[in-house]
Amino acid sequence: MKRKMRVLASICALTLALTALTACGSSSTTKEGTPESTNNTNNNNTNVSTEAAKDTITALLPPVSPAYQENFSQMEKDFNALYPNLTLKIEPASWEDMTQKLDTQVNAGSPPDIAFLGSSGISKYVEQGMALDITDAATAEMIADFDQAPLEYMKNGTGLYGFPAYMEVHALGGNKEFLEKAGIDYKKIQKEGWTFEQFREDIKKGVVSEGGKTSRYGFVFATAGVASKDYLAILVKSAGMPAAFNKDLKFAYTSKNYLEVLKDIRVMIDDGSMPKELSSVDAGKRWNMFLTGQTMITGKGLAVFENSANKNNEKIKANDGSAVKGSIPAEYIVLPVPSFAGQKAMASAVVDGYVAFRGKKEPTPEHKANVVKAAYFLASGKVAATTNNDLFAAHITKSGKKEAESMTVNRNPDNVAAVEAMLATASPARPDIPTDLGAKAIKLEDEVIIPKLQALIAGEITPEAMYDAVKAAAIQAFGEDGVVKD
Amino acid sequence: MTQIAKPIKRRKIKGDSGAGYAFIAVALVIFALFTAYPVLSALIISFQKYMPLGSKFIGFDNYIDSLKDPLFWKAIKNTVVYTVLTVPVALFISLGVSLLILPLKKKLQTVFKAIYYLPAVASGVALSVVWLWIFDPMPNGIFNQLLGYFGINNVNWLGATSTSMFSLVLMSWLSSHGTSIIIYLAALLGIDDSYYEAAELDGASFLKKLWYIVIPCLKPTTLFLLVTGVIGSFQVFQNAYLMTGGGPDNATTMVGLLIFNNAFKYFEFGKAAAQSLILALIIGGISLIQFKFLGKDVEY
Amino acid sequence: MALYSEHTGKKPLKYARNTVIIIILLLFALATIFPIYFMIISSLGDPVEAGAMSYTLFPTKISLESYKFFFDYSDYSLRWLLNSLIVASVVTVSNVFFASMAGYAFSKIRFKGRSVLFAILLVAMMIPYQVTQVPLYILIVNIFEIQNTYSALILPGLVTVYNIFLSKQFMSSIPGEILECAKIEGCNQFQVYLRIILPLSKTVLAVMAILTFMESWNTFFWPLLVTNTMDMQTIQVGLKNFRFANTTYFAPMMAGATISALPMFILFFSLQKYFLKGVTVGAVKG
Repeated sequence: MKRKMRVLASICALTLALTALTACGSSSTTKEGTPESTNNTNNNNTNVSTEAAKDTITALLPPVSPAYQENFSQMEKDFNALYPNLTLKIEPASWEDMTQKLDTQVNAGSPPDIAFLGSSGISKYVEQGMALDITDAATAEMIADFDQAPLEYMKNGTGLYGFPAYMEVHALGGNKEFLEKAGIDYKKIQKEGWTFEQFREDIKKGVVSEGGKTSRYGFVFATAGVASKDYLAILVKSAGMPAAFNKDLKFAYTSKNYLEVLKDIRVMIDDGSMPKELSSVDAGKRWNMFLTGQTMITGKGLAVFENSANKNNEKIKANDGSAVKGSIPAEYIVLPVPSFAGQKAMASAVVDGYVAFRGKKEPTPEHKANVVKAAYFLASGKVAATTNNDLFAAHITKSGKKEAESMTVNRNPDNVAAVEAMLATASPARPDIPTDLGAKAIKLEDEVIIPKLQALIAGEITPEAMYDAVKAAAIQAFGEDGVVKD
Repeated sequence: MTQIAKPIKRRKIKGDSGAGYAFIAVALVIFALFTAYPVLSALIISFQKYMPLGSKFIGFDNYIDSLKDPLFWKAIKNTVVYTVLTVPVALFISLGVSLLILPLKKKLQTVFKAIYYLPAVASGVALSVVWLWIFDPMPNGIFNQLLGYFGINNVNWLGATSTSMFSLVLMSWLSSHGTSIIIYLAALLGIDDSYYEAAELDGASFLKKLWYIVIPCLKPTTLFLLVTGVIGSFQVFQNAYLMTGGGPDNATTMVGLLIFNNAFKYFEFGKAAAQSLILALIIGGISLIQFKFLGKDVEY
Repeated sequence: MALYSEHTGKKPLKYARNTVIIIILLLFALATIFPIYFMIISSLGDPVEAGAMSYTLFPTKISLESYKFFFDYSDYSLRWLLNSLIVASVVTVSNVFFASMAGYAFSKIRFKGRSVLFAILLVAMMIPYQVTQVPLYILIVNIFEIQNTYSALILPGLVTVYNIFLSKQFMSSIPGEILECAKIEGCNQFQVYLRIILPLSKTVLAVMAILTFMESWNTFFWPLLVTNTMDMQTIQVGLKNFRFANTTYFAPMMAGATISALPMFILFFSLQKYFLKGVTVGAVKG
């Protein structure tokens, strides 16, 4: 009995030892970069091309628009009909989890061929060497189909890493009735914009309060948790800081205009135009406040909100109890962000798109070409037209525009014009910012700027204190010469 | 760590060694593959600048960087505060509730157990929505409405550095005791009636019975709940992630969240590995103390 | 229960005591149950987007539209439930069996390296999962190549340290004398485990079964990682599909959450008898 068990024990020990060995083994292979001939683990099919090579392209896609995931099987079918030798395999994932899934796959060295993500995320994968530069595989015909501005966003340095799906502006949204009541000429503002001073006075007019209790605020922005990042990012763009770095690659947020914006953020709360509990108002909450008439203007505003407001109005009309409790009919008006410190207003543009990835092995040119075909298929034509219409987003491909001609969308023409005007002045892409500087700026934003901003909004530190903290952290990260001084 | 489960001297049973290995064989193999291997990998990664296409060995840099980082220490401090405020209270509440359930009729027992077990069943994401409403900073948030009845001004629960940590603690007090209650009840039911009978003969009061029979008999259970509770609390991630995102001003940034951010947000996987190993060391130290104080006479 | 005096002959006193207890328990229950209550009433609302959700204590309208929406939303809604059921069941059975075996060995059998091995198990438990996730992913996907299979979903959970620890702690309170009696009567270790330990541990095994099932059922991140197609997703992963970029189908999500909570309730009640009646040492002795 005893002997038998000794054998068992040694088996256990062996297993332990073996796993320890594999642990060392796998990391050393990556270290020395020896080819992994033993296990063909890559799920990126880097097939050696035989004649009319069959190939599978994997794509990790979130529910980009409400109806997007329903079309997956159709998209796979259409793609296969277009390229009979190719198979598009779509992996669905929910929006907020897909970054985590993608990041795990990237860290493991086996990402999908294509993933849908925001253009601001590209640099992180480029730095890791896992994003696939498709400059040489994208045909001139494909490139010509895209609008220039959004395409620029998919670039980093000299490389092109995917195709854009849409370009949206992060703007503000107002309740038409309240704007008119407050005597605000929103049509003029849509065309000409406004300064912060004007904005401050206007949102004061929107406040309704009785006996010290405010029943309607002039302006509410979602700032809870990570959403505070959007708030500041959107405002500083219209204060002469379109990106974290200026043209000379110096960190821009040490400028005195930055302090100006911070002061203005505080002022709007102190005026009573924004709630003092702003720091825990999240995206759902402020939309609820908009629909129930607790605020005149809300942010951030996306084009698709017009759709949500319209739907709720219909439900109020139907009067079947399905509308938001306490909601009132509200017509959504797109408004630009005001300009700060005498600078030019600049709309905050957001480009999301289909980014190409590589696995541990360098993909063959054939596979690369196939990946590009798939990315282009998703970013243009019918797929793009349907998706962007679903989102109320502008079309950014010629082929998409053509496809969209036959589809009808019910939108307020003033809003369409306002969005187009803002897109025209939108912040340009900055592929020139090196990935390591970009990464440092992101970390500084997450670890200093956002936490301090939350405290500023909660009224626990002064704008000056926050400005000093950001400046100190910036000098530490980029050096005395790496930051803007004015 | 060898003090753990130190065998108390018992009459020797021959041939047990082999049987022992046989009984743990399956568990051990699975453990080796799916837990030990990833842990060892993480250990190696902690000495590297991890890159999927070829990591670089950088010695102790990840550890040194972490230990120098004030945010890491702040996160440790937050985690310790959170643990100290939640774990003992949770044990106290769940033991109290279990003791209260015990004398009831069977049907009522079932009802209450089911009620307390319920929140554990629902997914955290769905529940966080509700909690966000409870902590709604506006006057129509549930807690603020309650305070309003007493004429207290509304509180910016999750939005202010002064109250955000307390809000998370409060949330933990009012939820998720289901697991501990079930485990405590099982343990309470396992106490042999003969102990009570003996005590009753001596005329022991309820409190005496509680102190001299129940508490000592529950020691292994308490130890288990304490150790796993502390481990869980040190790794707490979801609440901070869903409710506050670590803010405001990093007042609720826990180590678990920091590690997550390093691993996924910034792709500093080596640093994340190093930080988790430091964290494991801290938890290990605390567990050791717990075993020393509570584990002494666990076996009999 | 003998911990409490039965107040024999003093019925009013007993009733008074129990009433006080019930009131305290009810108050605490109210706080605990509220989120669940909210989950259920929200699931009865219309399938609207989350920004449009109402914060209300009482439903303005009761409809089952959201449940219908949940099942219509994807062809795989039922499949998600089935997948979760398969995975959680296998994991639960295997844990109850193997973890109790290991727990028995660690608590009652003396063997060389016992405390060291147990300490190693505990230490491993202290490492946050965020870090072990990537190596585990590499193991399952790149080395074993079993992504998108039930094996990938099940294997890493077959035996958890938590359960070994739990059963060890419980079994350590079973008096050693009983086991030795059995041995003197000629039982080998496996027979002791089967005939004495298992029956005596019914309570804790039921607890373990419930907790493991719950844990496995609610696991979200791992299934998200290793599944690539909708037909292999579990209910928790599928539920998240109701969240979109800036909107969420709130009521259907809550309907899904309610549906996904049901199996655990059924399990809870079916194992209820083990909770109610303590299978104690006394039962054997008597």
